[in-house]
Amino acid sequence: MEAAFVNTDAATLSPIALFLQADFIVKGVMLGLLLASIWTWAIIIGFRVKVGRTKKAIETFEGDYRRADDVDAFHRKHAESELPIARVFSAGVAEWRRSTAGKTIDREGTRERLATAMGAAVAAEIDRLGDRLNILATVGSVAPFVGLFGTVWGIMRSFTSIAAEQNSSLAVVAPGIAEALFATAIGLFAAIPAVIAYNRFAHAIDRIEARLNRFADGFHATLSRQLELA
Amino acid sequence: MDRAERIGLGAAVVGHVVLFGLLSVGFLATPNPTELKPVPIDVSLVDEVGLEAQAPASIEPPATSIAPEAGPPEDAAPPEPEAAPDPEPQPEPEPAPPQPAPEPRPAPKPAPKAQPQPRRPAAAPKEKARPKAEPKPAPKAAAKAAPKAAPATKAQPKAAAAKGTGRDTAAKASRPRGSRLGDDFLKGLTDTPSESRAPNPPSAARIDARALAGIRDAIRRQIQPCADRQSTTGMPGANNIVTVLNLRLNRDGTLAGNPKMVRQTGISGENERYAQRVADLGIAAFRACTPLKLPAEFYQTANGGWSNINYNWQLR
Repeated sequence: MEAAFVNTDAATLSPIALFLQADFIVKGVMLGLLLASIWTWAIIIGFRVKVGRTKKAIETFEGDYRRADDVDAFHRKHAESELPIARVFSAGVAEWRRSTAGKTIDREGTRERLATAMGAAVAAEIDRLGDRLNILATVGSVAPFVGLFGTVWGIMRSFTSIAAEQNSSLAVVAPGIAEALFATAIGLFAAIPAVIAYNRFAHAIDRIEARLNRFADGFHATLSRQLELA
Repeated sequence: MDRAERIGLGAAVVGHVVLFGLLSVGFLATPNPTELKPVPIDVSLVDEVGLEAQAPASIEPPATSIAPEAGPPEDAAPPEPEAAPDPEPQPEPEPAPPQPAPEPRPAPKPAPKAQPQPRRPAAAPKEKARPKAEPKPAPKAAAKAAPKAAPATKAQPKAAAAKGTGRDTAAKASRPRGSRLGDDFLKGLTDTPSESRAPNPPSAARIDARALAGIRDAIRRQIQPCADRQSTTGMPGANNIVTVLNLRLNRDGTLAGNPKMVRQTGISGENERYAQRVADLGIAAFRACTPLKLPAEFYQTANGGWSNINYNWQLR
């Protein structure tokens, strides 16, 4: 993206040179956008790692769960797990134990409480997973405007310099406009990956949520069957 | 911040540093192929209005040959021996008033008189245009005669012979026979090229229709900037009005007086209320965009010029 600049001097193509020549406001804009870009990419990479790991863990957990004979033994094995699906499972088991601890068992109430507890666990896990997505959304929508602000400011400054030098030749105008456009370029540089990542990750989180809900429904059906036997 | 995010942050920082580092060392820098140097272009406006004379160019006579023309044999110079004993005393050297009456003079006397004599023949070669059968030694002898009074008697008859009418029968002795060229036909030829004068400007430049149209064009071009500045919107049909303005101009192109409206054509019911406005706009355009630059040779010619010219003003 930065390669699209038009410069009168090849030396000024260097982003550092452009940054150093700029006005202090444009400098601030560039610096902020650079940090936003770094933070965006940190979130993207971290999220990608986390989502991939979560998906794999969910598949493994579901496979283990289907093969498991004893739910209590399986729960003991995964009690300390940090995985979202394990937490949902733990929430269901915990609620089951609390509801069936007494002498009399309210079957309808127990079913409702089980559903609520597991639904809350799923929601909490999704919240935790999608924690950083709002940052991506913010960067994606705001960074172009911030960059545009820097550009407008820089171009205004260029025009002032035209007026000051009473010379409108390209050599006077071009460097100022180039460094001003650099602000927009950084803004787009930060915003485009953020928008793409936000859409992809929102989709990925939706799928994880659906998967957790399916697992919770299945577990709820199993517990409900157990409730009737009891 | 969990482990995955820490990994992400590290990777992002490294990636940005690498990217900006590469850009800073000119990894993607394109060499600037075209130097941004303005090349000035010389624009010269060709003068559309040229000098044109209606009268045919005066034909310049060629440089006159100085060699004697093969003229009537009577003009041949009298022989030298005849001149010496010729009793005919010095006539006045002036060719214009021929003095038939010879003035007898004693020999020593003509000394002071001889002084002006050679001048005349000496001046003769200057007037080359006049064809004249001149005896060969005449100018030379005359020039020599100038300082000396004694040879004056010798020179005088020759000078007299220059305007001789051939009444001297002895002159027939040297009449050329067979050839029409005299033995002095090369006389006066020099190795320097004869100077033919530069063609004169046409004596009386007359302005013709083409030149006049060119001048009107030139006027239109020069007042167009002022006409363009005028606001002519909201006057439907005003473009159809043709106003004939009489311009009286000074030689430097300034107005000698306010342009006067001569007549207007193209007025219809639709635009008649703009007629005066159109005329005023025309006058205003001339007042704003004078002095005009017009060819000076057409300021005043035999049949008019732009000192007093009618111009068809029309909004465009």
